[in-house]
Amino acid sequence: MDNAWGERVMKLRVLPASLRERNRYILFKIIAEAPIEYSDLEGAIWNTMLDFLGEHGVSKTSVWLMKDRWNEKEQTCVIRCNHLSVYEVIASLGLITRLGDARVAVKILKVSGTIKGLNIIHTNL
Amino acid sequence: MYFDLHVHSAFSEGESSLREIATQAKLLGYNGICFAEYFKNKDKMNEIKQEIKQVEKEAMIKIFLGFEARNSNELKKLVKLRREYDVLLVRGYDLALNRLAVETPEVDILTHPELNRKDSGLNHVLVREAAKNNVAIEINFRNILLNNKGSRSIVLKHIAQNIKLCKKYKAPMISCSGAISHWQLKDPKVLISMAMMLGLDIKQAKETVSTTPESIIKQIKERCSEKWIMPGVKEL
Repeated sequence: MDNAWGERVMKLRVLPASLRERNRYILFKIIAEAPIEYSDLEGAIWNTMLDFLGEHGVSKTSVWLMKDRWNEKEQTCVIRCNHLSVYEVIASLGLITRLGDARVAVKILKVSGTIKGLNIIHTNL
Repeated sequence: MYFDLHVHSAFSEGESSLREIATQAKLLGYNGICFAEYFKNKDKMNEIKQEIKQVEKEAMIKIFLGFEARNSNELKKLVKLRREYDVLLVRGYDLALNRLAVETPEVDILTHPELNRKDSGLNHVLVREAAKNNVAIEINFRNILLNNKGSRSIVLKHIAQNIKLCKKYKAPMISCSGAISHWQLKDPKVLISMAMMLGLDIKQAKETVSTTPESIIKQIKERCSEKWIMPGVKEL
């Protein structure tokens, strides 16, 4: 495959299924004093996880906050991690107490192995 | 069924009203909560009982009344009045009080035995006593939440040590938020996850928010019957 300058771009072959990491998707809801923004949530999750688990601990969780799954109206979002780190991620989410100026509580709605399994109806997509 | 048996309302050191806490607990998926208050006098107790009845109807959640003893004198007073409220908690931190709590069969929960201590507040002797007298040792989430960095790591180490002892001597364990505001209430899955991180397997971690509180609630019902005299003694 060539890029815009006619150079050949090497792409990694996709790993076989047996060697790929098994993902878990955690759907959670933010219950807050006032509606919160995605950027506040992202910052708070990274800071809390780095504080609690450390850089090495976070690297082991393969955590990723899925921006395209942020529902501003419902204040729900999906966080992805590997199947061995679900409890570390949920415990870290519980340590978030403030987003911006608003006090918050996190409610875990569902954990699934696929995004489809979360059964989210995306009104804003 | 999930229960949180250690929540403070504005009647004690808390910031939120009973109504706010009950509504938030229902939203987070709890089936019941227990307000752990400080004992002042019987009039105050009756006042709380009345408000609990009202809130229970409105919020559609089971609410229990508990008292947290902060010293040995309070504990003695509360043991005498044991039939008049649901749950007896003892605020752990002092070694002598921790010992008295685990040796008293009337006590249901020893809360945060590691609070403000340089050790875990429990040893094999105390945990064995707790197992014998069926006193649940608490995993307090607020103690983890309010500390950070170095102090949090020490708290986590002490809780993990207590969990190890409880597992060995089969003492009951209970996970509670220890919330003083309705914003400090945590999803039961968060409490389960934290218990798992500190050394429990999934079955034991779930028991700390469901089976152990349920067994305490069962004891409350037994205590309310006229045949109950004292722990381990009832009319036949």
